[in-house]
Amino acid sequence: MLQRPTMLVIEDDLGDIDLLCGLLVNAPPPEFTLVHADRLATGLARLAVGDIDVVLLDLSLPDSQGMGTLHILQAQRPDVPVVVLTGCDDDARAIQAVQAGAQDYLAKGSLDCHGLVRALRYAMERHHLQSLVERVRQQDLARKDAFLSHVSHKLRSPLSAIYQFVTIVLDGLAGELRPEQHEYLEIVLRNVNQLRTMIDDLLEVTRADTGKLTVTPRRLSLTTVVADVLKALHMTAATKGVTLGADLPGDMPRVYADPERVRQVLTNLIENGIKFTPAQGTVTVRVQECNDQPDFLCVSVQDTGCGIEPKDLEKIFERLYQAAASIDASRNGLGLGLYICKELVVRHGGRIWVESQYGHGATFFFTLPIFSLTCLLVPILIRDNLSHIVLITVEIRPRAKRPLTGTDDAALHEVWRLLECCILPDRDRRLPRLARTKWSETFFVVTCADLLGAATLVQRLQGQLASCPVLQKTCLEPVVSWTQVESLSLASDTPFAQLVAEVVRSVEDTVDTTLFQRRDEEYE
Amino acid sequence: MNKPKILVVEDDEDLLKGLRIRLQAHGYDVVVASDGCAAVSVACQELPDLLLLDIGLPVGDGFQVIEQLRSLFSTDIPIIVLSGRDPEHNVARALRSGAQAFFQKPADNEELFAAIRDVLGEATQQISG
Repeated sequence: MLQRPTMLVIEDDLGDIDLLCGLLVNAPPPEFTLVHADRLATGLARLAVGDIDVVLLDLSLPDSQGMGTLHILQAQRPDVPVVVLTGCDDDARAIQAVQAGAQDYLAKGSLDCHGLVRALRYAMERHHLQSLVERVRQQDLARKDAFLSHVSHKLRSPLSAIYQFVTIVLDGLAGELRPEQHEYLEIVLRNVNQLRTMIDDLLEVTRADTGKLTVTPRRLSLTTVVADVLKALHMTAATKGVTLGADLPGDMPRVYADPERVRQVLTNLIENGIKFTPAQGTVTVRVQECNDQPDFLCVSVQDTGCGIEPKDLEKIFERLYQAAASIDASRNGLGLGLYICKELVVRHGGRIWVESQYGHGATFFFTLPIFSLTCLLVPILIRDNLSHIVLITVEIRPRAKRPLTGTDDAALHEVWRLLECCILPDRDRRLPRLARTKWSETFFVVTCADLLGAATLVQRLQGQLASCPVLQKTCLEPVVSWTQVESLSLASDTPFAQLVAEVVRSVEDTVDTTLFQRRDEEYE
Repeated sequence: MNKPKILVVEDDEDLLKGLRIRLQAHGYDVVVASDGCAAVSVACQELPDLLLLDIGLPVGDGFQVIEQLRSLFSTDIPIIVLSGRDPEHNVARALRSGAQAFFQKPADNEELFAAIRDVLGEATQQISG
């Protein structure tokens, strides 16, 4: 590298700058061009301009102190190598800095020309190599991703043909079957389904690795989902002689989670439980409040199976890991199930873990965040707005009365995205998807506009929805309506936090009332 | 009343045969095509009530078939996509281009036939209404 590298020194002590300049005067060519910033903010601004090859960073600056300074810089500019410069020579801190991503750690007191220049040059080289490695890793992942989607796509056609012919024979379309023949074909069918699940899992893992695993959270009754999954797995458990138990309190708060994903995690954990529990055993699912995390609910799946060896407890959520006992118990699965569960739970902001006494069953736990309107609404709630808040509801339902289908899901998601484009981010809030029934889905927008503003927004929404091609295609129609959220008796001395709490409660009530009315219509 | 006519477009011969047997057993008239170009010409001759369409096809993929049919026919023939591709990106694309439903292979028979009945029912209602 014969070009003159440019070094940005972020340092507020002018004496130290002079010292550095003095040291670098005698540096062997190519010399460093020195650029100076006296604060973190000005340093970041200078970095944005470009052409900086290495940063020499003082950790104590007027606008940022300590390790945080490095964290902020790293988070914003991972592409530039950083050497930390500090007044105190402290090994523990040096290691900390290097672990946080600094290339090196230099103490001001013991600097010499040779050491400084070497540190800077090495920093640049190492960082260059690291980014090469990272680029190769990304290319590798992308290649693997493409390969796996290609393979799984290709596997589906023959699998589909097998499925089709097995069911044709099973359904008697090719003549009557003897009971054994029927039984054997059922076995083929079961294995086809297993193979399909494996292909799905493979794709899911690729998505997780490339950050494409999607989670579409909405307000959700966790106990309802658990009850659904238990119902679906009832037969599987009964066939094996395993009892499914549940402890689902009725008054749990709703969570903010993707129902399909939660179902996926639960199914996986409960199926696992059934698999490793001998006949006469039980698998029990509980939903409870989280002791150590008040904003989360905790689900546990407890089995009376063989348990998990202590050495496996940590590794069980790693990809492709299967405990020795699990390999004996079954050839099912690729060892990806728990890894996918972990990825899904983590993407919801939750945790997943397992507790087990070897030989006495295992209990899997996972947490999901409780749905909070407050967090969503607080940013748009200003004191002046609190007296006029309008709730807009957009109900999407099939023109002919029919249940919603999987295809409608995609259309509904488009609609939800469309809503976000219609609103003003500093005044309106689109609520998460929280009101899906078998027959329709209702979306909500809260606006802090006056009545005229609300009417304008309603008009804009109606216009956009009327010309939405996906809705026309799927024969869905939008019904837009709005209600003013009941105004409050706002005493001027009421603390703001209390006002916000009241507004949020009243929005929540209006949402619930709207939904309740919908539900009545449905029963008619 | 005439049986509804379904055009199945699929390049996997075995799957095509399986789908034909299954659809005929449900009382549908079945015509077939195994590439994109043939799909368009069969559709023009046979005027099917519904297309069951694969996406990855030789000589013009499923999206191109949809596009051409849209430009050739004044009334839209309903289309159900049955593809091995990842629904993640393809459902929205298929719907936007004009399909009514998307199923990933292998599709569950019950769900697939519910959608077929649904789409055909809707189409007849619109004509009579």
